[in-house]
Amino acid sequence: MTIELELPGINVNSLKEAPIHLFKQIQPHGVLLVLEEPDLKILQISNNTWSIFGIHPENILQTKLEDLLDPFQIERIKTGISEGNLEFINPTKIWVRKKGDDYAVFDAVFHRNSEGFLILELEPAVSRENIPFLSFYHLAKASINQLEKTANLHDFCQIIVQEVRKVTGFDRVMLYKFDDDGHGSVIAEEKLESMEPYLGLHYPESDIPKPARKLFVANSIRIIPDSHAESVQIIPAQNPVSERPVDLTNSILRSAATCHTEYLHNMGVGASLTISLIKDQKLWGLIACHHQLPKYVSYELRKACEFLGRVIFSEISAREETEDYDYRINLTYIQSKLVEYMSQEENFIDGLVKNQPNLLNLTSAQGAAVCFGEECTVIGETPKPEDLNFLVQWLKNNVEDEVFYTDSLPQIYPDAERFKNVASGLLAIPISQRNYVLWFRPEVIQTVNWGGDPNKAFEVSHTEGHVRLCPRKSFELWKETVHLTSLPWRYVEIKAALELRKAIVNIVLRQADELAQLAHDLERSNAELKKFAYVASHDLQEPLNQVANYVQLLEMRYEAELDQDAKEFITYAVEGVSLMQTLIDDVLVYSKVDTQAIAFQLTEVETPLERALSNLRQRITETGATITHDPLPTVMAGSTQLMQLFLNLIANAIKFRSDEPPQIHIGAERLEDEWLFSVRDNGIGIDPQFSDRIFIIFQRLHTRDEYPGTGMGLAICKKIIECHRGRIWLESQLGEGSTFYFTIPVGGRDRERRNGRKTQNHLFG
Amino acid sequence: MSVETEEKLKTIFLVEDNKADIRLIQEALKNSSIPHQVVTVRDGMDAMAYLRQEGEYANAPRPDLILLDLNLPKKDGREVLAEIKADPALKRIPVVVLTTSRNEDDIFHSYDLHVNCYITKSRNLSQLFQIVKGIEDFWLSTVTLPSE
Repeated sequence: MTIELELPGINVNSLKEAPIHLFKQIQPHGVLLVLEEPDLKILQISNNTWSIFGIHPENILQTKLEDLLDPFQIERIKTGISEGNLEFINPTKIWVRKKGDDYAVFDAVFHRNSEGFLILELEPAVSRENIPFLSFYHLAKASINQLEKTANLHDFCQIIVQEVRKVTGFDRVMLYKFDDDGHGSVIAEEKLESMEPYLGLHYPESDIPKPARKLFVANSIRIIPDSHAESVQIIPAQNPVSERPVDLTNSILRSAATCHTEYLHNMGVGASLTISLIKDQKLWGLIACHHQLPKYVSYELRKACEFLGRVIFSEISAREETEDYDYRINLTYIQSKLVEYMSQEENFIDGLVKNQPNLLNLTSAQGAAVCFGEECTVIGETPKPEDLNFLVQWLKNNVEDEVFYTDSLPQIYPDAERFKNVASGLLAIPISQRNYVLWFRPEVIQTVNWGGDPNKAFEVSHTEGHVRLCPRKSFELWKETVHLTSLPWRYVEIKAALELRKAIVNIVLRQADELAQLAHDLERSNAELKKFAYVASHDLQEPLNQVANYVQLLEMRYEAELDQDAKEFITYAVEGVSLMQTLIDDVLVYSKVDTQAIAFQLTEVETPLERALSNLRQRITETGATITHDPLPTVMAGSTQLMQLFLNLIANAIKFRSDEPPQIHIGAERLEDEWLFSVRDNGIGIDPQFSDRIFIIFQRLHTRDEYPGTGMGLAICKKIIECHRGRIWLESQLGEGSTFYFTIPVGGRDRERRNGRKTQNHLFG
Repeated sequence: MSVETEEKLKTIFLVEDNKADIRLIQEALKNSSIPHQVVTVRDGMDAMAYLRQEGEYANAPRPDLILLDLNLPKKDGREVLAEIKADPALKRIPVVVLTTSRNEDDIFHSYDLHVNCYITKSRNLSQLFQIVKGIEDFWLSTVTLPSE
């Protein structure tokens, strides 16, 4: 969550604060010398030598260090600085003769700055505070032993601040951690009972601005023994060799920025010690020690704290990484389970949502959706289907990457505010153009305790035309409720989602291959069936025709010689053959319904109906049937199949007529996404108990003597309607006529459901 | 017929594998008033050999009418039809497809190959007799064909 700094016309980062590292002042408790190697000529010096050594700085400038220190020390120093690593010599004790036999003893630290000057900093040695190494070792060991018994990060941090406070005796020791957006928060604190707690407070990013943070990385320990002390100038201000102010980035004594000291004053801090905690070359956090009164900490003790901090912190990092690692291992396990489930299920989506663990576990989400085409399969708490559809549309138009994630969706997609309770956070992976896997996290109303109003972190003072940054003065607890935001997605979770994406893409591709193979096989078997149906009908018809023809020839030629019985036998033979021929014809029609690729086109339903009626003209005339119909629509259908359908239904209505002349009405009515047609008659009706059976192939309710027929007509009708993805059923009572209903989807077959994969082929029912 | 023309013996070339069907067609043609002879072959290869006067058919008379079944051994009736209609020497001989098949593809395909007409064998004997008689009357006496 970013906090916008509302400072009209002022860019905080470009304010006219002199760059911190070029401060030409140091704190007054020590002496700083800028030396030129190899002869250690003193080029610059802090303007406080009189009070510390009793020597005026102008008497020291341009002399050599050996003029200030005795040869024994110089020898040691020259050997030390030629070692290549100044850490071997740091810190070293140095004594400077003040007057007579009065010596001042200092802790001396050397460093080379970016310009190559050797900088020597002297701090008065307070030897009473020296910690013997062994006792320090015991201290560290005790801390580490304690750590080993500690499980979680927070207790760890608590141990650090305890130990550091024990060693240093500061009033308050805090562990301060930065989060991704640069704000910091106090995650552990040890302090005097009487002091106001800062634990849990958040500090805006601007409290420790970027330049300051850079310095913390460069200089892992900073001490301000007296925040009210008057700074001391370096003289001369310009380095005589480089003719620039000297770079004091890594200086221990460098003065703090005015802004920072004011900040400390506002907090009532008299002395401060800051230890940087660095992880992966980035500032992870700080150990900040505050004291109400001025307090000096010897170099050794500082180093001890730094060491302690680092040892413990490396333990923290390891623990943090272990936690991450454990979580990652766990996600990898979940991922492998999901891949396993996906490959077991006929539909991979079931593999993602049906078992434990499932999609939700992969990213610790509260809701998830797999949107494939028009279908969204959801699990857990998710937006409504129509909201999901719009969201997917939006993603399609706005996201091109392999992964998209946000912990505040409403900020970029305002519509999401309506379902912030389930989806303030969104993690999305596109599988292809129109298919997505989405994870959702609800809004977490987090109450953030800011140490002051983050929107007013600065006051700007205008003096003498300069704009200067001042720290804020109000430290009231300021609460900001973070709206429309979920818990952030962690890197490992995003990575897990991306891994899953790969797996899904592979599975989808494999299934597409299988489908293509299936379609190919189906096409082949359809072609074979078609051939079979044709050959079967033709080759079966021929011998039947032969029987029929020769029986008739027999009858024609030898009529005179046949008695009544012989003629009857011949009649039976002819009838049997004729029925067989009709059956074969019907089976052929039935098998063709779905083996032939039907050309679906916009069809005016009236056309196939008229064709059916003209085929039935003779029977209509014979029976005196009247046929009426509603205005008929245009639908996506196979015209020939519709003709066949009407032909069968109307022929049935005529065949099963009552004593009345048949009255048949064809109705049509628009439903939501389909047309409902009906064929109503005034015939003999059908007992409702048979209303399903009559659609089964070869199913007859009457003997052939009563009503001729093969029992295939309605089976053919049912199949035709199935091909159109519609439904067909009957409503009837014995003696009260029948009404056959069938539906045809408005969009034709395109409105198929997802399970259209299971193409079935019932050649013979 | 007002003008006496020399009655020329017409040759009907029947390509049909089914003996029973050959016999039926012969029966149907028995009552014909037109002098004719029926030459029969039982497969597609023989049909082409006859028409091209190859081998044993070197002196075979040129048919005035071809009755062709579609489902034939060795060479399919559809191929025979295609070859006849692609052959400049044969393509003017009227070809009548006389077959059991009611398959629409067969019908379309035959007309695409310029068949003269396509007739489905009736399952009713008297109708079949009528059809054969109709073919004979139409193709052997009614229509005017180019003299070869």
